Amino acid sequence: MIQQVTTTESDRAQDAPIAPPDHLVGKSCRRIDGKEKVTGTALYGADLFPNSAELFASVVRAQHAHANITAIDTTKALEVAGVLGVYTHVDVGGTNIHGLIRRDHPALASKRVRYLGDAIAVVVAKTERAAKLGRDRVEVSYEPLPVIATMEQAIADGACKLYPEGNVMGDKRIRKGDVERALANSHVVVTDTFFTQTVDHAFLDIEAGTGHWDGQVLTLYVAGQWVHEERRLIALALGLPVEQIRIIQPVTGGAFGGREDISIQIYLGLAALKHQGKTIALRYTRSESMRARHKRHALKIESTFGAKADGTLTAARIVVHSDEGAYASTGIAVMRKAASHATGPYRVPNVEVDVYGVHTNNNPTGAMRGFGACQMAIAYEGMMDRVARALDMDREAFRRKNLIQSGDTVTTGQHVDPVSIGHCLSKALAKFKEQSYPGNEKLPDYMRRGWGMSAICFGLGYGDGFPDCSRARVELNDDGTATVYTGGVEVGQGLLNTMMQIAGEDLGLPMEHMRIVAADTELTDESGSSSATRQTYFTGNAVRMAASELREQVLDIAGIKLKVHPHEITLQQGWAFETNKPDNRVSIQQICTEGLTRGYSLKASALFKPRTITEVPQTGQSPRAFITYLFGAHVSQVLVNMETGEVKVERHIAAHDVGKAVNPQSVEGQIVGGVAQGLGMALMEEVTYKDGRIMNPGLTDYIIPTIKDLPPVEAIIVEHDDPGGPFGAHGVGEPPLIGAVPAILSAIYDATGKAPCELPMTPERTWRLINDVRENDPLTKVF
Amino acid sequence: MPEPTPMEIPTIQVACTVNGEAFTRDVPVDMPLLEFLRDVLGLTGTKGACLEGECGSCTVLVDGETINSCLMLAAQANNRNITTIEGLASGAELDVIQDSFVATGAAQCGYCTPGLIMSARALLNDRPDISETELLTALEGNICRCTGYASIIEAVKRAHRESQSS
Repeated sequence: MIQQVTTTESDRAQDAPIAPPDHLVGKSCRRIDGKEKVTGTALYGADLFPNSAELFASVVRAQHAHANITAIDTTKALEVAGVLGVYTHVDVGGTNIHGLIRRDHPALASKRVRYLGDAIAVVVAKTERAAKLGRDRVEVSYEPLPVIATMEQAIADGACKLYPEGNVMGDKRIRKGDVERALANSHVVVTDTFFTQTVDHAFLDIEAGTGHWDGQVLTLYVAGQWVHEERRLIALALGLPVEQIRIIQPVTGGAFGGREDISIQIYLGLAALKHQGKTIALRYTRSESMRARHKRHALKIESTFGAKADGTLTAARIVVHSDEGAYASTGIAVMRKAASHATGPYRVPNVEVDVYGVHTNNNPTGAMRGFGACQMAIAYEGMMDRVARALDMDREAFRRKNLIQSGDTVTTGQHVDPVSIGHCLSKALAKFKEQSYPGNEKLPDYMRRGWGMSAICFGLGYGDGFPDCSRARVELNDDGTATVYTGGVEVGQGLLNTMMQIAGEDLGLPMEHMRIVAADTELTDESGSSSATRQTYFTGNAVRMAASELREQVLDIAGIKLKVHPHEITLQQGWAFETNKPDNRVSIQQICTEGLTRGYSLKASALFKPRTITEVPQTGQSPRAFITYLFGAHVSQVLVNMETGEVKVERHIAAHDVGKAVNPQSVEGQIVGGVAQGLGMALMEEVTYKDGRIMNPGLTDYIIPTIKDLPPVEAIIVEHDDPGGPFGAHGVGEPPLIGAVPAILSAIYDATGKAPCELPMTPERTWRLINDVRENDPLTKVF
Repeated sequence: MPEPTPMEIPTIQVACTVNGEAFTRDVPVDMPLLEFLRDVLGLTGTKGACLEGECGSCTVLVDGETINSCLMLAAQANNRNITTIEGLASGAELDVIQDSFVATGAAQCGYCTPGLIMSARALLNDRPDISETELLTALEGNICRCTGYASIIEAVKRAHRESQSS
């Protein structure tokens, strides 16, 4: 994607005063992609169709959630007028398999299908209508297998195995101290089980794109989250060398982890390879998108926490079962992240965690904002409220007694410094208490008001020794502007502005002199994925390093021109001048000209690759499991209708330590948006399955928050300089969602006196909670 | 009975005005207005996200009223006057709502933005004074997955203020 700012600046008159410094880091610069988005000229994947599509593709999906394929007959499909080809596994030139961690997911199934989103064939036709008609005429014969619909079925004795090695995909452990003894010596021991639900990303921009093969290069315009890794996966599956594949990220309408797994890329690539010279288009419908795509893991979390009479936490024993669905996706990493965040920002000396990933015939589960840490926060924060109540302690005082301080260790044994969770919690609570919030009026008997809080931490980046690297290049252009090149993808979060502002700050250039080229495998270098809240920290650092090197190159030439030592030169608003004698100056454009004349390079690239240390498999301990930790605290106030179970969030406050807000407006957008998704997860969103079939594959029945569901959300930006981050920044993407859900549940507990443990808290579930009626209770069968 | 092949879908002539320009086209009888705008006229600023009238991404104005263009047939647009997101800015100058959306950061991924701006346009066209409730009601049919709506509310209020003062 190429973004450009029109440069209106043309006269750099030598006598005009230099504008005062305009620090781009810390400034809410207008989004560079704002104008094209508000005018409708931004081109998303589906917008490439009308002008360029010559042929259309459609994907044949499994009709059984679990079955052996006995035959695939394409004859009738090929008879449909306009259908030009039907391609199955035999037509795929490579391994025909993908998967981000394990290569286990067939692009086109050959022998067996494991969920209803499994693809079997790709139909290519002259029109989209013909392609879909052809799709419906492909005849696949199956030998059905027992459908493993739940985790209980998957681990039951004699269960049908999805894979020869069984249905347990993997496990992850934490062993720290002596939990048995610590629990035996505790004043209180509290146990509860939490059930989190399957969640869909529901980004609005449905998967769509184009593919073209010219005999040399396969060009794909498809939105992903890590274009360079996607290129590797496509290359393997299709049997092409990576250098013959080019991926260009179109403007992208949200991702939230939902574009991490391969979606339409391989189907489009296969179709393009079979129809050389033609541009192929493919777009999903919402239901196809929801049926095909991976989801957030549903977890069953059995939690036991012990504490002394004075409120000091002694031990935690946590057993997690995770519905991994049909394929591994990023599930193994999600399990690791869940384990390493099992006790959150609390000092727990003795910890045992066992996480088991279990295969079912539901959709594969993988990355979604929060990535395992989100579900665990629901459990540990829920337990903080429960233990405080068991001890008859104030919820805040109990938390404060146990929150880690700078230098303390988290679940993995990693010492964290600085720790700002106490500060975040103080900020959020102070905000909550400083003004009279809505609802001091007398409520009718059936309405109850309550408020709750959460304190969370989040390890940034992939962690656990996994290679995590960003590259960037910054170049000065002949006209005095600078271009940042990064492989990082903009999915709506504001990456483009962040990178331009970081580079511009170092180069002393105003925003309108900054340009960026992002996420094109031909033009940019690999920068890892836009996930794990890592881009500001990782790519931000790479950009900063490249920009700093380029700054040295600029200062070198400026020193020659101004006849002073580079240390005595200031870069500001497109000028280089002698710090103590501003009249002695030269414009950046003149420096470019001088650089050209002298044949000096005016570009720099950098690679940022800090190391984390792999957790010891037996204990899950690591001195540096994550590169840095983020902290956040939320306060939420709810109104509960005790008769109907309806929950209305009236007010929500979220305080997050972002290190340094490079663009405060973007940071606030991430915080408020994260709260909205958290509210959806807490109260309404749930993918429901029946024997592996999604029962609500559309926005009619999969309910996400509207403008009327959101209360005023107050975002508080806390800035504790992160010594490892660019200008002290680290990131913000995932924590706001992680903090929101437990704060809302905590408020429901406060209002109703009953502790919620199942998500989402729909009116029906809240009513059952209030009335102590279980889901399978015969009493409720009348409904 | 065999399903009709693509060639057998009957077509109908539609004559309508889009953003002030008159168009006459033969379109399949079952084609939604959304597809007509995007695939036939190439006006891809209007987005489709749920395709069942739930998310409002495809909102356009038909004779000044907001419509989910995924639920209206192109054939129903005959003799109607349609305004899409492409019809708001005059040349390089943005509509005040568009400018406000950029100013407040209300367009993050931007996919819901055209629909929201059309809904807001209809609201501000109608009413010199708007209450908070009216504002929320006017926009409640538009789903945004990124922003949490705060910046969108701020944008519409800003646009309202600016159009009042000008």
